[in-house]
Amino acid sequence: MNEHQQHQFGNRVRHILNSGSLAPQLERRLQAARELALSRQRPERAPALAWADNLLGRSGGWTTGVVYTVLSLALLAGSAAGIYNWQLSQRIAELEEIDAQLLTDDLPIDAYLDRGFQNWLKKRTAEQ
Amino acid sequence: MKGVERRAFKQAVFAVREQEAALDIVQDAMLRLAEKYGDRPGAELPLLFHRIMQNAIRDWFRRQKVRSLWTTLLSSLAPGRDDDEQDPLETIEAAAGSNPEGTPAEQLEKAQVLEIIEQEVSRLPERQREAFVMRYWEELDVAETARRMRCSEGSVKTHCSRATHALAAALRARGITL
Repeated sequence: MNEHQQHQFGNRVRHILNSGSLAPQLERRLQAARELALSRQRPERAPALAWADNLLGRSGGWTTGVVYTVLSLALLAGSAAGIYNWQLSQRIAELEEIDAQLLTDDLPIDAYLDRGFQNWLKKRTAEQ
Repeated sequence: MKGVERRAFKQAVFAVREQEAALDIVQDAMLRLAEKYGDRPGAELPLLFHRIMQNAIRDWFRRQKVRSLWTTLLSSLAPGRDDDEQDPLETIEAAAGSNPEGTPAEQLEKAQVLEIIEQEVSRLPERQREAFVMRYWEELDVAETARRMRCSEGSVKTHCSRATHALAAALRARGITL
């Protein structure tokens, strides 16, 4: 059976399938189901949301997607800058604390046993 | 909408072979479509309805699997039962006026042919039946059928070809040549 013959066969089957009808009680039940579904249909989107979508759609040719992307990127960049500044200020505060303890001889004895700290002290002295 | 729901009901009957279950599936699918997707553009609704129907049919089979475990156990204790399927002739009537000059014998023959075709379509493997029904009964093109079946266009053509051959052979075996 070639493709054309398949189509012809399919068309004949469709014709026969469409020729039958359902029993009246089935038709009534399907109709009742359809009416119930229509009565519970989800309403269209709220006018305020539609207005916002329209505004974004009309503003200077920018699509809603572009605006959202730009806003998201700006938020991300702002967050990254904020985190970097916070970490920097934390590090500065730690160094200030160590310096203060050095000057007041309050540095814990274990710090002097730390090779890394010794090297750091030598480096700082050389820089000064 | 009326034609759509009638076809949806018949397709559900092909799949689950139980009229009441098919009716429940179609009713639930229509409700779900309206409640959850009623605000979508009209062009999206046929595909959504199809997906909801397929999920509902799959859920029905899953529930049947569990139920059949229990019925198998219980039926082994019960005396012999009549498991004949419901005769579609009890529910399917020839369309009024479809053959105004046909004799009762001709009308009966048409009804029998319809019954046999529906039985044989129902017996097709699931994917072949889906492809055949969508292509030839719902008259969707290959691309749309592939989208609904979530397969390639090549697969759709293969399923349709196999379905057509299988259906033609089954009908011939029962004395029907279209």
